[in-house]
Amino acid sequence: MTTVTNRPASAGPSAPKKALIERLSIITGLLLGIVGAVLAWYLARTFLPVNTDGSYIKTRMDQEVFIAMIGWFVGFMTGIGALIGPFRWLLGKDLTHDETLFYAGKDQGVKRYFRYTTDHKVVGIQYLVITMVIFFVGGVLAMLIRTNLGHAGGNWLQPQTYNTVVGLHGITMVVGAIIMITGPFGNFIMPIMIGARDMAFPRLNALSFWLVVAAVPPLLSSIWLGGIPTGWSAYNPLENQAPPGMDGFIMAICIFAISTMVAGANITATAVKMRAKGMTWNRTPIFIYGVVASVALALPVFPVFFLSQVLSGLDRATGSTFFDVRGGGSPWLYENLFWIMGHPEVYVILIPALAALMEMAPVFTRRPLFSFNLAIMGIAGISGLSVLVWAHHLYVSGWAPLLNGPFMLTTELISIPTGMLFLVLIGTLWRGRVWITLPTAAIYAVLFNFTIGGITGIYLSDVSADAALHGSIFVTAHFHYTLMGAGLTSAIGALVYWFPKMTGRMFDKKLGWTAFWITQVGFNIAFMGMFMVGLAGQPRRVGAISAFYDKGNSITTMGAYIIMTGMLVLLHGVVVSWVWGTKATQNPWFAKSLEWSVAYPVPLENFDVLPVVTEDAYGYGKAQS
Amino acid sequence: MSVDHAHTAHHEHPDAVGSRNRLGVVLILVADIAFALSVLFVYFYLRQQNVNGLWLPKASDTAAATTPVAVAGAWYVTIIAALGLVTHRYALLGARAKNQTQLKLGSLLALVASVVALAYQVILMNGTSFTITMGAYASCYFLIAGLNVMHLLFTVFIALGNWNRSRLGIYVADHWHVDIVNVWWIWMTVSSLFGAFALSFK
Repeated sequence: MTTVTNRPASAGPSAPKKALIERLSIITGLLLGIVGAVLAWYLARTFLPVNTDGSYIKTRMDQEVFIAMIGWFVGFMTGIGALIGPFRWLLGKDLTHDETLFYAGKDQGVKRYFRYTTDHKVVGIQYLVITMVIFFVGGVLAMLIRTNLGHAGGNWLQPQTYNTVVGLHGITMVVGAIIMITGPFGNFIMPIMIGARDMAFPRLNALSFWLVVAAVPPLLSSIWLGGIPTGWSAYNPLENQAPPGMDGFIMAICIFAISTMVAGANITATAVKMRAKGMTWNRTPIFIYGVVASVALALPVFPVFFLSQVLSGLDRATGSTFFDVRGGGSPWLYENLFWIMGHPEVYVILIPALAALMEMAPVFTRRPLFSFNLAIMGIAGISGLSVLVWAHHLYVSGWAPLLNGPFMLTTELISIPTGMLFLVLIGTLWRGRVWITLPTAAIYAVLFNFTIGGITGIYLSDVSADAALHGSIFVTAHFHYTLMGAGLTSAIGALVYWFPKMTGRMFDKKLGWTAFWITQVGFNIAFMGMFMVGLAGQPRRVGAISAFYDKGNSITTMGAYIIMTGMLVLLHGVVVSWVWGTKATQNPWFAKSLEWSVAYPVPLENFDVLPVVTEDAYGYGKAQS
Repeated sequence: MSVDHAHTAHHEHPDAVGSRNRLGVVLILVADIAFALSVLFVYFYLRQQNVNGLWLPKASDTAAATTPVAVAGAWYVTIIAALGLVTHRYALLGARAKNQTQLKLGSLLALVASVVALAYQVILMNGTSFTITMGAYASCYFLIAGLNVMHLLFTVFIALGNWNRSRLGIYVADHWHVDIVNVWWIWMTVSSLFGAFALSFK
């Protein structure tokens, strides 16, 4: 070990000139991003040749929008400082120790949250905040949808606006759900939990976060560029025919996909290579398995999604014909590429969410996790099968009818490993002396909601049932039961559980419980109502609905407003607890995993001396029932 | 949140860092491999579907027929990339044997090979008789060639860095960076080979 002295204070007239990396922050990122976008747009407008080749789709506007967005992206990433590392490597001038410490956020107070900071704890907090912002935006969009559908005929929103609101709601919520566990907790908690000083690649860690930020303006710009009338799945030929707002969607997805791939490599390498001495795979906490399975699953599938959007962008900007039948392309190709990512993405969200619950269950029952090996088999089984089920989304498209049977089989098979995870949770709780906290309540809520989400999923995987239900709002209710009822509820439980470690404060009990019950009641009212109208045949993504569906829609809208109330209470709870909450002790839950062995605030490199693990994380003794 | 006061630096053995870095690169390559395989899937899917007979459109009143490119060009690019891989490997062996001359020479030759391959690929793309709008084959050709250009651009960047760092004597004690760059060279060459292989099926 080597001790280094603190950096000298840089105050006063004789203070040394600030180095470049000290000048860069989100301000310079935004400034250079805007300059880059305007400059690129001006150059495109001035120098791009007029389209004369008679292609079917491409428009000059799309080309200009794409080039401007690339200008934004390059400018922002330069301004935030993402390119310094690679260019310093190129020049052979590697970062000095002091510069590395600066990147880690040393001595920067709050400013480090607005810089290209590499400390995994800072990145975890950044992810937590951006996840809440994303959910807030997605929630507002959801309320616009439900308000429009709250009465017969709709039409409170113009049809194109309604479609855009639905598409934006879908994509913001999917992005938020993908990062809601692996972002905040995968970054903040995971390295401490495995006894590491930081992530394997701290600069890539910062990169993955700032790429998410860079994706936001292109996505939001779609509102002013004609919208995204396609829903989040952006099927072709709809995508090809959409206004330039679609270019914003495509650009945002491409940037987000890169972020996901970078994060996937980083988290996996960290878990594989940086576990503490003695932390064999049998002693590695189940949460680590969940996070690694999620990001490792994202590694091979997100590039396929990335490609689908690259091809759509090429069709729109260059006139290529990948998805256009008039030039030998195929919309079925898009559907395959999209769903090869689209279905595993559900498990990218759910696996770490359920793993977080499995991490908490032993703590609040004071007994070992029921069958650690079964949990791992379940996670591995879901991960493996999830890449073999995508075509159940294509049953009614007419693509390869002979494959419907095999895909129905693989889709229904996935309920077996999912059931294993249920068994592990129930087995851990069974006849235990449960300490009732909000995280424990989240476990019960998820078991209830996910049972409904899972069983309705089996209907949809059945070819004949899907023929009737496909395209109906029944499907919407089903995936909200899985992604929100199970995924988001788990994330709220995880937030309350790890809140003391991340903020040094306990989550306010009263506000937490109030938010929990309001949200759960509202959620079940909203989406049971949606199942009703879905079974009756109400189509999804349609803004003007017949009076026949009024009752169910009114119930759903009422439930949605109740959810909104609960979520606002939760948000209030986060702010109040973070600022004024009761100070937490080092280990308020008396848990055995390593993250609770370090005090708050967690030191820059987490541990003075790296821990040596001598037992598993769930050695709470036998059940006392 | 972390504390800001006094800090103690902890150093790891270069082999631990190098092995971790190599795993990270391999994992990122998993994503790139998935992307490249998806590109091949697109090529063979559209070729097999031949929607409306427009994989290779025939001549019409308004447009000439789309003629496939001579595939030899794609193979030449792959051969140049393979030569770059061999020279980089030569540099790596030099780094391992602490032979700085061999390291510098191999790195420089690899850099030259990457630049030549990039330039040749761009020339090939500019020399086609069709544009990207002229049917599914044309779109797929530019997709595969474009992917190769992106890979080669990145290769030029890291080959330049590798040569510069070799020249500055940074790899005297630790050859892990050269080792990791070698992993990229292998994949880049294989990816180029995949592209040439696909384009051999017109």
